Amino acid sequence: MAIANLTATPRSETGKGAARKLRAERRIPAVIYGHHRQPQALSLDGRELDKLLDRIAAETTVVELALPSGSATRTLIREIQRHPFRREVLHVDFQELVAGERITVDIPIVLIGNPNGVRNEGGVLDQVMRQVSVDVDPASIPNHFDLDVTNLELNESLHVSDLKLPEGVRILDDVSATVCVVSPPRVAEEAPVVEAVEGIAEPELIRKTKAEEGEGEAGK
Amino acid sequence: MLSPKRVKFRKMFKGRMKGLATRGATVSFGQYGLQALEPGWVSNRQIEAARVALTRHIKRGGKVWIRIFPDKPITKKPAETRMGKGKGSPEGWVAVVKPGRIMFELEGVDRVTAEKAMGLAAAKLSVKSKFVAREEAHTDAS
Repeated sequence: MAIANLTATPRSETGKGAARKLRAERRIPAVIYGHHRQPQALSLDGRELDKLLDRIAAETTVVELALPSGSATRTLIREIQRHPFRREVLHVDFQELVAGERITVDIPIVLIGNPNGVRNEGGVLDQVMRQVSVDVDPASIPNHFDLDVTNLELNESLHVSDLKLPEGVRILDDVSATVCVVSPPRVAEEAPVVEAVEGIAEPELIRKTKAEEGEGEAGK
Repeated sequence: MLSPKRVKFRKMFKGRMKGLATRGATVSFGQYGLQALEPGWVSNRQIEAARVALTRHIKRGGKVWIRIFPDKPITKKPAETRMGKGKGSPEGWVAVVKPGRIMFELEGVDRVTAEKAMGLAAAKLSVKSKFVAREEAHTDAS
């Protein structure tokens, strides 16, 4: 199990104005919640958080959150809100972990190797499912699941049931769900010649006909 | 070219493009994407040109997703017409794009090919855009 450390400071002011002021000081608003505690608003150091997120798999790493009030709290990052295109972190959710209480985590699936169907027959490897939901003890959260796709031929697929699970991990998703498939190569298509047309072909209007309208009024 | 099959009204107001894309702003289907950086209208002709550029560059192999749909009718008055006398006739279809929107996605090609293909597609569009990749899983546990 991977464990990372992070320092957090409680904050009293909440709302978008306070959050914007924090971000201007390069601090990131955050919240911690859990089964046996009241939600608490926090703030994190932006640089420290960026460095941490570069280093760890955020969704599967236990983060020991050091609060000034007391001892470190074991948490899991539940959500990272980012700016739509600048990728900067806007807000982080931490869930407190309780020893012995199992949790639901999405574990990434990493495909290993180049399938035979791609190498020899020019197929395309299509990964349909990229993470799988599991029920696990917080002390043994797997970092990721490896799935060897080397022996996959054209039109063959692998399913959730093909994943090799460590001890104590229970899959919550449908075990027959497809993880990846080797699709046949796309036939190189030539772009159809677009005829120069005046205006556009207008689509059909979704509108009641006069007969229907008359029936509706008669019904009233 | 992409256009709606059925519509409720023939013409639409211009509208305003405020804010950022809150939906459709993450790479969801493929491995790589082309993300809009400014608001704008992308016409169905531009979408088609970008699609052709993408599919030609990646040749066989690879899979393309188009994440925007031109569902807004654009009207135009005929040339040398005096103002007034009502709104012009429908002349085309556009997709309203806000900053952050993933417009195209690609899978089944290497990063270099994907970047080149997305560059060619971006040149066909009327909004500034950038190449983005899906966040990779950290495979080294620390």
